[in-house]
Amino acid sequence: MATITINDKKLEVPDGITVLRAAQANGIDIPTLCDHPHLTPYGGCRLCLVEVEGARTLQPSCTLPVANNMVVKTDTKKVLDARKFVLTLIFSERNHFCPYCQVSGGDCELQNSAYGEGMTHWPLSPNYKPYPMDASHPYIIMENNRCILCRRCVRACGELVGNYTLGFEERGANSILVADTGVPLGESTCISCGACVQVCPTGALIDRWSAYRGRETQVDITNTVCVGCSVGCKVNVLTRNNSLVRIEGDWDAELNEGVLCEVGRFEPMSVECERIVTPLVRKDGSLKAATWDEAIATVAAELKKAATNVAALISTRQPVEAIYGFKQLFAEKIGSDLVTTTEEGAFTADAAAFADSANKAFETDLKDLQNAGAVMVVDADLTGGHQVAGFFIKRKLAAGTNLLVLDKKENGLNNVAHKVLKASKGANADAIKALMAAVVKLGLAKGKTSIKAADLDGFAAATGLKTDDFLDAAYVLTSAEHPVIVYDNGKELDVLKELADLVEGKLISLKGDANSLAASQLHLEKALKINGQKAAFFALGDDDASQKAIQEFEKVPFKVVSASYASALTSAADVVLPATNWLEQDGHYINLEGKVQEAHKALTPAEDTHSTVQTISALADKMGIKLDDNWTKEIHKRVSVVEISK
Amino acid sequence: MAKPKVSSDWLAGCAGCHMSLLDMDERIATVVSLVDLRATPITDFKHPDESGVDVGILEGGVNNTANEEVAKRMRSRCKILVALGDCAVFGGVPAMRNFFTIEESLKRAYVESESTDDSGKIPDDPELAVPTKVHALQDIVPVDVFVPGCPPSADAIFFALSELAQGRIPDLKGDSLAWN
Repeated sequence: MATITINDKKLEVPDGITVLRAAQANGIDIPTLCDHPHLTPYGGCRLCLVEVEGARTLQPSCTLPVANNMVVKTDTKKVLDARKFVLTLIFSERNHFCPYCQVSGGDCELQNSAYGEGMTHWPLSPNYKPYPMDASHPYIIMENNRCILCRRCVRACGELVGNYTLGFEERGANSILVADTGVPLGESTCISCGACVQVCPTGALIDRWSAYRGRETQVDITNTVCVGCSVGCKVNVLTRNNSLVRIEGDWDAELNEGVLCEVGRFEPMSVECERIVTPLVRKDGSLKAATWDEAIATVAAELKKAATNVAALISTRQPVEAIYGFKQLFAEKIGSDLVTTTEEGAFTADAAAFADSANKAFETDLKDLQNAGAVMVVDADLTGGHQVAGFFIKRKLAAGTNLLVLDKKENGLNNVAHKVLKASKGANADAIKALMAAVVKLGLAKGKTSIKAADLDGFAAATGLKTDDFLDAAYVLTSAEHPVIVYDNGKELDVLKELADLVEGKLISLKGDANSLAASQLHLEKALKINGQKAAFFALGDDDASQKAIQEFEKVPFKVVSASYASALTSAADVVLPATNWLEQDGHYINLEGKVQEAHKALTPAEDTHSTVQTISALADKMGIKLDDNWTKEIHKRVSVVEISK
Repeated sequence: MAKPKVSSDWLAGCAGCHMSLLDMDERIATVVSLVDLRATPITDFKHPDESGVDVGILEGGVNNTANEEVAKRMRSRCKILVALGDCAVFGGVPAMRNFFTIEESLKRAYVESESTDDSGKIPDDPELAVPTKVHALQDIVPVDVFVPGCPPSADAIFFALSELAQGRIPDLKGDSLAWN
């Protein structure tokens, strides 16, 4: 601990922190622009200047570490004058006319800073020099005229996302924010995660959708869970008058710490499908609007007729409550033997079976991935989905984390990987064995294996790769303590687990969609294959159905779909039940690391759209079936691949 | 003490600040009872009294030689000069023109505009004011009080005027201080 005095107040603060953090932790306000709690200090804007006893000049508090007996003043005339001067210089540099800026009126940290200093005007008139403006990106507008050169976006792009798309060109007042080597943002390596927009203190980076739709003070904010994939990032959903304004990453979330990917931040904004707003029942060959009572009565009657010959499928984007109710109704009460999910257990079944036979959880959480010194990725393209997990790896690469990719496909991480193994088709297991042999051969084994160094040539030959490739790969994987292996499905899990044990590594599987793990825990992982079923009930919600699911669906004589949006599935159905989308319902989700998270309703659904839970319970009531809602107990009944939180 | 004489005029603006002044509703009666309203765009006198006024208020940026003349005359005839609204304070919307040359802006306005027929012509009558770079009022004449806003809220204007009427220099802060 260090003792410092700020504004005559004696404070005990931890060693190594900056004067700014010490002040903030003790409720002393120092205005800043370039500083951001989730980014490394930069010291670029000079707004946080403070007077330090004994120092020749004012010091930027954001980059100044505390020292014992340091005496700091943040409110002297010298400091206040300097702040106004710094702001004056920033305002005079580019186009900072407030009336026509989207963030003006509360969302602009630059404007707020000027108000904070009581500035009624700019003592220097602006430099009317135009800077480039880039509107080539589908979601983001990059307006250099409003840029204050704080480089928060550049740091976010590199430090949080590991993408390094944004950077600066030229020097001093000529500095401009560019993508890559100065290409249009829309044609750059940008992956549209939007972290830059979220950290921008001015209107230099804004997102097209939310611009002019409402400021922070005019919107309602709902903290909920993204259901884009199984990572389960926490998001803040901004809504105004029951319409979606913007989605932001939750800075306070332990899991994603403010970061989101395109799927979480921007894709929900571009949904342009036609909404199903009223129940539809097929009469004389065409779908006609009906009441809920009529639709449910039709479904109940047909299901009774079909007895146990019912195919039931639910989306893994649905909350556990819905999946559990669905399973009870169709598998346990109706007795159907074809109850599954949109994913048919593709990414969970093998791993779950492995856990069943091992009778214990064997995977770890994403914290370990963030702290891993070496990462091996098996068939998992973390740039296509589960991108935030990919960010956790990419952002650590600069600090020395090593990355090994084993994937026969073109993996998006290949260009940043230290070693890529493209084993021939079906040879992943051999490749993993060859890797183990290489580890043994190099004398780097920490655990036991039956595989011997002498086996290397044989296994390598089966993969179409050279033995040297595996020796290189073995070095990459064992270069640091506690490597983490991320895999897509559990097909080679027996050897993969052996490899993990051999290098004292940990395992994480991606599992697929938002609630795939929950569905797996409820044993909903059968392949969808229609075999004489007389009725089908697909609870799709806001999910898309695969081509295969549509084809199977069409084979059934009586078809029901509960969906938010019109699709090939709804046109083929005999009864269509309008469903809420993810923003319009509450419920729980279990992410890939077994964390049970609660999603909250951000929008009020249209009167005639019902959540899957409501639909299932209405149907059960009509059929005289009683359902319970004790999903927590059910979830824990099966051993899971990863420890599930209570 | 005699009531302070107040005069106002507008330069390159949209008249919105004067509209916002009228937007203070019945409080305008209070203002009128506190001050002696002289030449303004909404009263009959054309120019501020040659003998001088206590408070001069100008809305709008300075974008041509005529604006400059009005600004300098007001400055020479008032004790306290108030820049009212973003255009007078910063240059505002008219100052967007400064990112282009004057020739480009005139051509856009009089020749290339969608509503102009083939014979578009840039006016060149020698009696017309000559366009200049758009300036904030303080670039042309010294300004004593800045009331930013686009437009400043009626509350901010009422606060500023009532302070001035009572012989104080207004200190805008909190809700009264807004640049948009």
